[in-house]
Amino acid sequence: MLAVIIAAAVIALLQIGSARSGSASPLSSVAGAIAIAFEEGASAIVSGVRGATHNLALIPSLQRANNRLEARNKALQRENARLNEALAFYREQAALQPQIAQYPRSIEARVIGFPPEYAVQSVTIDKGTRNGIARDDGVLAADGVVGRVMEAGPFSSKVTLITDFTSTIPAVVAQGRYWGIARGNESSVRLEYISQDAPLRVGQEIVTGEARSFHSGALIGTIVGLERSATTLYQTAIVKPSVDFSRLERVVVVPK
Amino acid sequence: MALWLALALLLQIEVLHFLRWHGAQLSLVLVVVVWYAIGSEPRTAALIGLAAGACEDLLGAQTGGAWTISTTLTALAASLAARGFFTDSVALTAGIAAACTLLRRLLFWIVMSLQGYPAGFASLHFHQALWEAAINTAFVIAFMAALRLRAASRR
Repeated sequence: MLAVIIAAAVIALLQIGSARSGSASPLSSVAGAIAIAFEEGASAIVSGVRGATHNLALIPSLQRANNRLEARNKALQRENARLNEALAFYREQAALQPQIAQYPRSIEARVIGFPPEYAVQSVTIDKGTRNGIARDDGVLAADGVVGRVMEAGPFSSKVTLITDFTSTIPAVVAQGRYWGIARGNESSVRLEYISQDAPLRVGQEIVTGEARSFHSGALIGTIVGLERSATTLYQTAIVKPSVDFSRLERVVVVPK
Repeated sequence: MALWLALALLLQIEVLHFLRWHGAQLSLVLVVVVWYAIGSEPRTAALIGLAAGACEDLLGAQTGGAWTISTTLTALAASLAARGFFTDSVALTAGIAAACTLLRRLLFWIVMSLQGYPAGFASLHFHQALWEAAINTAFVIAFMAALRLRAASRR
């Protein structure tokens, strides 16, 4: 009992002395150092629990917001796809405008099918005699000549491509005005019956001459090779068509 | 059978022309015709070929009746060739598909030349016909292998 009273008196004297001097007592410093570790731990636990409780309370509203955002995202993706499709359509339309302006009576059409076996190179378009299309009408795309109408039904027509073996079109070398016959050759076009004297070069453009199906000046393709022989009267140019037939979508039919 | 034929035609018109290899493409119509012809009587096989070929002529351009005649005769040949053999043989079916591809192409160009088309296109397109035969054969083998795997997994 006496020891307790003495210990209390010592502690009190130390605390009073420190308070009078304005500094922290040694006992306070030690107690504070020990307590702070527990206080920090407890504070961390309490704030963690508060945070978790707060987040748990937010989950329903977060889920609702997430669902709304997902739905909005899907709607925006659909709208984006629709607008991209519309943009591609208007771009194609715009690409055809020069052809339409050059041929005011022309008829726009869409390629709707290819032949089942592709033995004869042709495409089917969605316009026919009801729209004013007739056999032997010329067909153009934004990039150049596509071919000629070979069969015209009331609702659709079949167009033989210039790369088909039966296709023959009067053609002219744009630079120099040398005439020849552009004959289909499966994946290219051969410009035949050109005089040996004609100074043909790779890179020259071949255009249509004025004929039954086409007016003059429509681009057929570009020369990528030449065949000359000292024993023949004519030379032949291998022409790469300007139109990519595998990606053909929109064409313009030019009535005769 | 009519449904499969219609589906094959639709795919060939709208899709398969994007998948060309060395100028050749898979002929789903011929594969369907051969598939049904080798398991049918010659008369039935000829009718199947007639229907398929007529559809191809109607949907194509400038072919007249070439596909009708060539596909009918090819189906008949396939039916006769498969007589006496088990029709679930992969080697037999693939072999018949390859031979029928070449036969049909040859008959097609013969009929086309008779219709007024320039002669000699059969030899001009022979390389393409070989590739088409290879593609058709590969498809038949893959298809039959898939069927066998499915049957084995069901047991």
